[in-house]
Amino acid sequence: MKLQEYTESRHNFEECMKCTVCTAYCPVLQANPLYPGPKQAGPDGERLRLKDPYFFNYALKYCLNCKRCEVACPSGVNVADLIQSARIKYDHTPPKLRDRMLASTDFMGSIARPFAPVVNAVTGLGVTKAVLDWTLAIDHRRTFPKYNIGGFISWLKLRRKEQAAFPEQVAYFHGCYVSYNYPQLGKDLVKVLNALGVGVQLLDKEKCCGIALITNGMSAQARKNAVHNVAQLRKAVLDKGLKVVTTSSTCALTMRDEYPNLLGVDNADVRESILLATRFIYEKLEKGAQLKFKADYHKKIAYHTPCHLEKMGWGIFSEKLLRMIPGVEFILLDSNCCGISGTYGFKKENYEVSQAIGEPLFAQIRSVNPDVVACDCETCKWQIEMSTGYTVMNPISILAEAIE
Amino acid sequence: MKFDTVIIGGGLSGMLAGITLQKAGQSTAIVSTGQNALHFFSGCFKSLKEPDQRILELFGEAGVRLHYNPGVWLTPLGNFKEAALALEDIDIFPSPKFARKVLVVNFLGYHDFFSSFLAEGLEKQGMSCRVRFLNLPELEKLAQSPSEMRSVQIARIMDHLWEKVVQEVRVLLKDEDAVVLPQVFGLQDAAVPNRIRQGIPAHVVFAGTMPPSVPGIRTLFLLKQRYQLLGGTYLMGDEVVRAHTHEGVVHSVATRNFDNHYLEADNFILSTGGYFSKGLVSNPFQVVEPVFGLDVDYKEDRNQWYNPSFKEDQPYMHFGVKADEKLRALKDGQPLENLYVTGSVLGDTRPDFGFAAGQAIRTAIFAADQILKKA
Amino acid sequence: MNANEFDVIIIGGGITGAGTQRDCAMRGLRTLLIERSDIATGATGRNHGLLHSGARYAVNDPESAEECIKENMILRRIASHCIDETDGLFITLPEDDLGYQQTFVDACRHAGIGAEIIDPDLARRLEPSVNPELIGAVKVPDGSVDPFRLCAANMLDAKLRGGQVRLQTEVTGFIREGDTIKGVHTHNHQTGEDVDYYAPVTVNACGIWGQHMAELAGVKVGMYPAKGALLIFAHRVNNVVINRCRKPSNADILVPGDTVCVIGTTSTRIPFEECDHVAVTPDEVTLLITEGAKLAPSLSSTRILRAYAGVRPLVSADDDPTGRNISRGIVCLDHETRDGLKGFITITGGKLMTYRLMAEIATDAVCRKLGVDKVCQTAEIPLPGSEEKSYEAVAQKIWENPTTAQKAAAARLGTRASRIRTGNKRDDALICECEEVSVGEINAAIDRLEVSTLTDLRRRTRVGMGTCQGEFCACRAAALLAKAHGCVERERKDLEDFLQERWKGNFPIGWGDTLREAEYTQWVYKQVLGL
Repeated sequence: MKLQEYTESRHNFEECMKCTVCTAYCPVLQANPLYPGPKQAGPDGERLRLKDPYFFNYALKYCLNCKRCEVACPSGVNVADLIQSARIKYDHTPPKLRDRMLASTDFMGSIARPFAPVVNAVTGLGVTKAVLDWTLAIDHRRTFPKYNIGGFISWLKLRRKEQAAFPEQVAYFHGCYVSYNYPQLGKDLVKVLNALGVGVQLLDKEKCCGIALITNGMSAQARKNAVHNVAQLRKAVLDKGLKVVTTSSTCALTMRDEYPNLLGVDNADVRESILLATRFIYEKLEKGAQLKFKADYHKKIAYHTPCHLEKMGWGIFSEKLLRMIPGVEFILLDSNCCGISGTYGFKKENYEVSQAIGEPLFAQIRSVNPDVVACDCETCKWQIEMSTGYTVMNPISILAEAIE
Repeated sequence: MKFDTVIIGGGLSGMLAGITLQKAGQSTAIVSTGQNALHFFSGCFKSLKEPDQRILELFGEAGVRLHYNPGVWLTPLGNFKEAALALEDIDIFPSPKFARKVLVVNFLGYHDFFSSFLAEGLEKQGMSCRVRFLNLPELEKLAQSPSEMRSVQIARIMDHLWEKVVQEVRVLLKDEDAVVLPQVFGLQDAAVPNRIRQGIPAHVVFAGTMPPSVPGIRTLFLLKQRYQLLGGTYLMGDEVVRAHTHEGVVHSVATRNFDNHYLEADNFILSTGGYFSKGLVSNPFQVVEPVFGLDVDYKEDRNQWYNPSFKEDQPYMHFGVKADEKLRALKDGQPLENLYVTGSVLGDTRPDFGFAAGQAIRTAIFAADQILKKA
Repeated sequence: MNANEFDVIIIGGGITGAGTQRDCAMRGLRTLLIERSDIATGATGRNHGLLHSGARYAVNDPESAEECIKENMILRRIASHCIDETDGLFITLPEDDLGYQQTFVDACRHAGIGAEIIDPDLARRLEPSVNPELIGAVKVPDGSVDPFRLCAANMLDAKLRGGQVRLQTEVTGFIREGDTIKGVHTHNHQTGEDVDYYAPVTVNACGIWGQHMAELAGVKVGMYPAKGALLIFAHRVNNVVINRCRKPSNADILVPGDTVCVIGTTSTRIPFEECDHVAVTPDEVTLLITEGAKLAPSLSSTRILRAYAGVRPLVSADDDPTGRNISRGIVCLDHETRDGLKGFITITGGKLMTYRLMAEIATDAVCRKLGVDKVCQTAEIPLPGSEEKSYEAVAQKIWENPTTAQKAAAARLGTRASRIRTGNKRDDALICECEEVSVGEINAAIDRLEVSTLTDLRRRTRVGMGTCQGEFCACRAAALLAKAHGCVERERKDLEDFLQERWKGNFPIGWGDTLREAEYTQWVYKQVLGL
């Protein structure tokens, strides 16, 4: 008899020992008693949902999907995946117009960008904010990300030849943030990679990674984006033999892990080639490549590990790179959630909770009083800048600034 | 990524080994599959019966103050058990009758602190007892959630509210000479329990709650902070999935998060814990060590793994990885030259190091010393 | 009239005893139920919890099959809150004889069981966990029934109709005058009190222990103890009962019940002395897993929660004390006509499915003796809690916007969930997180359902029946019990007994996640809590 096969559970949620460790690290629980908490919402709830979908609890929508429960779990239970999968499976409430707008980052971006000055001016106006608050329940206290008129994609296209000349090539998944809000980050990446002798090219056509669609209950659309993007990634990775880098920790996590785990889109053949730019750069340097830093660069940098980077475990690469810069005083902030979680904090009903979650982080930043906060996530940047007044830069931009 | 030593397992044992090595100038990394058993720590090191200056120092430098005081401690269910070394805020009494009259204070709606059991246990020892419940509006928000009135959530609030508790207890206090409070104080600030003691004109005893353990998490936080300040790299939420070994020497390990980016080191420490943390993995036929496939001392007949009585000592809890006199792991009977084993993954194969937290500490220091001696 | 005098005394708090008490109470009798430990501790609580359609017996035992399907339809009406109408499949695997299917279906139809041959593809869609290699499938009206709930509801109804219940009370002897049983001597294990109770009729409804009770009364009833071992899996793998379409054999039924599913069973003759201490052997575990995985392959990778065994109360036919001629049918013995002993009836044999019919037969016999002429109504009047069909409807009606714990309570208690104190922070706090049992629900059980120990509480509420097997909730619940009973000392012992009882079901399957959980429980209770 081959009882060998009959050893232990292969159902991830059954590995939960009910030890309650996850509840100690959930940022939402600390701020919102309406949320049942990761243990109840995740493995405990799963058993009941398997009995009858009737036991699905709509309060699961309060989960930030920050995945800190997963990082903390001693048993390796994918708690956040369980919660998000349950939402995808059981919550068929049609998303509100507001949520559809917030989720469609690339659609909104492509409309807003050509009119960036107008949009920025308008969304900055108190009256607009009040209207958005009233009509769409987008909180009026929120500062809006600025849309940028100068496109990164066209900028890079102009330099296509020059980039192709580099002996080594990498593909860049720029994401919505670089294309619509902050093209400078893309330009910074190009500068740093070029300094390492690496040329940058784009995927043929990328779509939003889809994280905002997932969290806003639009998983069908997210799956379409995922299928599209994986096909594009395959062209770069399998056909051209390239690594694909991102400058957004969330884009990287989504494409590596959420595609297969939440959306059921297989990416096994390309997953290991999707890297955060800091990891790619670190690995180049480890293999002997060198960056020339300015002699007179001095900065006190407080590094905030975004939740999704914490989950991927790659904060160490950004940290090591920043520590490498002579003249940098590096402070590793305690790993806490900033509270924005993509579009979550924009919603009127979540504003207070969002700010309460972020407060320990904000307080630490204020007490450290750095020249700049470093962070690999664009939404953390908005949240921290709005809530503390400190400037937040992607480690790539800091590197770009620090090299000759 | 290259380190002097890579430590697999970030619990008490792994962290103390890491701190010891960092202190000696090594560069180390700890890979930890999530949080650890300090979340279920009673606050007493039951198997450390002798005072050890080095241990006190190691903790003291991290801001974890211990006291040595052979006697008994009060368990959360109102029993008394022997102990000698404990965290500063955990009392060890010379004898169970530590007071004449005791006031046990709980929070209304909090089910993880067993005030009635405590009172009965104390009365059994000849102390008269009164149980009172505090109804603090600040905790009511927490109580809205049916499941989340837990020690840590209360402790987060108590970090800002402990002074109010002191006032309320002072009002409740009549002629009692001792007060028992739940261990929900000083999550962030280790000084709070002492300040509470100063504020209440009776002896204050902090009794345990259901996990997570607040003193345990505080200890963990301080040790981890100390390790990181010493320059150690703590990789939380990652897991070693494979090791690369050649002719009895471990060269590198692969982790789930780093996929093909290996962690290299001159030495490795395995401090992955027992079954709970999957340092040992069991199936119907055997008990294995999953990372290196090390030799495990266990009984082949599964019937001999258990004692049918829950109360009795359980044989499976004694199973563990075999190690040589230097605590180097054995594989196929031979020691791996640079892999040291510490903590409860050893099971009871090295009873000379004690058990539980005591074992974790002593094996960690011993293994770190072995590594440092080599260099 | 003396407070210790009744019309009828029923010994045995299994489903037969509880059902008989209810029936007697409905016919206006003053009843007393005596049970030496808790309700549903014997075979009642130690089986699959299968609401048989009768299909399993259709070929070999058409009489039982007919009884089953009739009772099945009745229970759906009167005990809806204890029942999950899942339907069942009888599957034929490549190694089975597909020819048996037609014999099976014909026999079912003959017994009045709606059996329908369906396409294997449809079977795979109906129950995605089913072994995909199946070559044939028959759909039947199987379901699942929660025996604890059913037993508690019968007891509760009897109590609401004036019946009295003495649990933890053992019958130590009979009060006999000449050839008549006049009453019983009892000993209460909790209080230590010895009390005599009197009634003109006493019913022996002790299941397998009926043999001993009969001996005590001086008559002989030959029981044939057959042990059956079962395994509980940690979550519902299937939502439709899966059976093998072949002659009944080992481990060929997989039943979803509440949050878990159960595979069983084995069948082994055991000596009578072992009835009180049946244990599951490693061989039985192996057999259950391997055979079970043939019904639903994913069982082989599902965490096992616990192993347990029960003893079937089979009766040796009167003329054959060797046990070779076994009946699974209902046996009602009037010892006056059989043995010349007046005032004593034994009701035994049968099965969980036919408890109501057994109770009816026994009550008819009681009424004949007492000269009472009342008809049985147990097939028409719903049990308390079952006045509404679905728990969704119950929860909606009571709370409009029910929380998860309220939904779970409605699923467990039916309309009686309205009696739970809820809607405020204190009562809504969860004690058992795995099964979502609140303070309010536990207190309601303590108030009305004769709870004296944590193990009793588990049978009434599912506290400690979840994945962690009581790791967190046992202590919390013990504190509530200590408060209700005003005694902490007893609860300390009770807590130990509860953990022991949980461990007993864990160690036979103690590997993998189960062993991890066991180690953690050892830490929590020994190192942290210092029990």
